[in-house]
Amino acid sequence: MKGQLDDHALATLMRAAQGGNTQAYVLLLKEITPRLRQIVRAQRRFLKIADIEDLVQDVLLSLHAVRATYDPRRPFMPWLMAITRHRLADAARRHTRRAAHEVQVENVPVTFSDEGTNIDGDEYRDPEALRQAIEDLSPAQRAAIEMLKLREMSLKEAAAARGTSIGALKVSVHRAMATLRKALIKES
Amino acid sequence: MTMETEKLIERLAEVVEPVRPLARPWIRTAAWLLVAIPYIALVMFVVSPRADLIAKASEWRYVIEQLAALATGITAATAAFATVIPGYDRKFLFLPALPLAIWLGSLGDGCVEDWIHFGPDGLSLQPDWFCFPAIVLVGAVPAIAMAVMLRRGAPLTPHITSALGGLAAAGLGNFGLRLFHSQDASLMVLVWQVGTVFILTIMLAWAGQYLLNWRSIVATARRRVLIR
Repeated sequence: MKGQLDDHALATLMRAAQGGNTQAYVLLLKEITPRLRQIVRAQRRFLKIADIEDLVQDVLLSLHAVRATYDPRRPFMPWLMAITRHRLADAARRHTRRAAHEVQVENVPVTFSDEGTNIDGDEYRDPEALRQAIEDLSPAQRAAIEMLKLREMSLKEAAAARGTSIGALKVSVHRAMATLRKALIKES
Repeated sequence: MTMETEKLIERLAEVVEPVRPLARPWIRTAAWLLVAIPYIALVMFVVSPRADLIAKASEWRYVIEQLAALATGITAATAAFATVIPGYDRKFLFLPALPLAIWLGSLGDGCVEDWIHFGPDGLSLQPDWFCFPAIVLVGAVPAIAMAVMLRRGAPLTPHITSALGGLAAAGLGNFGLRLFHSQDASLMVLVWQVGTVFILTIMLAWAGQYLLNWRSIVATARRRVLIR
């Protein structure tokens, strides 16, 4: 079995990643991902595998977003663990908030009889095709998807940013989702 | 939307750009003061300094209160900058405690002295609505600079970080205010000026959830990964 890198080696990789070294960054992320998975699994035993993976990805994205906060003179693992701890606590708070507003139903009603409208978005796992499909959208639809789905802006914020009405934005995002769905079903 | 972790790692590596590690909290505090102090000096000269400023500089109580307000602002800024570094030492949180205690203690002592010398008249409280907008004005640029600098860090404790940032800006705001506002009665300073500092600190602590949150920075990272 391959041995784990020690903190000194991880710190060296992180320093290189802060300098923009792609290979060091891949190595670092691949090295820490199983550890993160193990930590999340140990602390959230009740979660499904997909949810654990979501949390791991959340930590990786968070690490990426705040990588400038790593002090190269300090150990790496305490820095990573602090981010992990906060992200897990954050996820737990989010889950509690969502659960408080959730209504349990036996059968989820379908919105339309068309199968395409009832696909579970979480099952989709090809980011490259999704990226391509988003790029192929018209500028207005792409902007609507970027603002509402990727940047998670509210309708009001996005409408103000685009200088358009909330209604027009709703139409754009609805059409964009339909186009994406068609494009992605065609590819799969 | 879930993508496979392997693919996410590849995408993160594709979009990774060189970043300059954040400087240590003390150094960032010094950088913040380089923006804040000249602005406070500018406001003081625009509004015009109080006529008795030079005489006041030899009054030990005024000097102690001013130094304590300044030290509270500086240590609160350092603590705020420390709280956006994952794995920071929690002792940093207590940095502003000592200068804040000296500041409040000195004002409290002033109230007691006023009581001893003037009786109940020494503790009379008149409205001084000038304090709130004046502290906001003096603290505005330090607060904006602080917010911009804090957003470069990790939003680990948004409320605590914002409260400390608010205390730093408002503390400096009060320091600046007393350079041009001739109000030295301890109770008046305690209620109107320190009261304003605390109100601003509480307001900014509440705003912390909007100013500093993981949701927006992770969404930005996710967008870059998907779009670029």
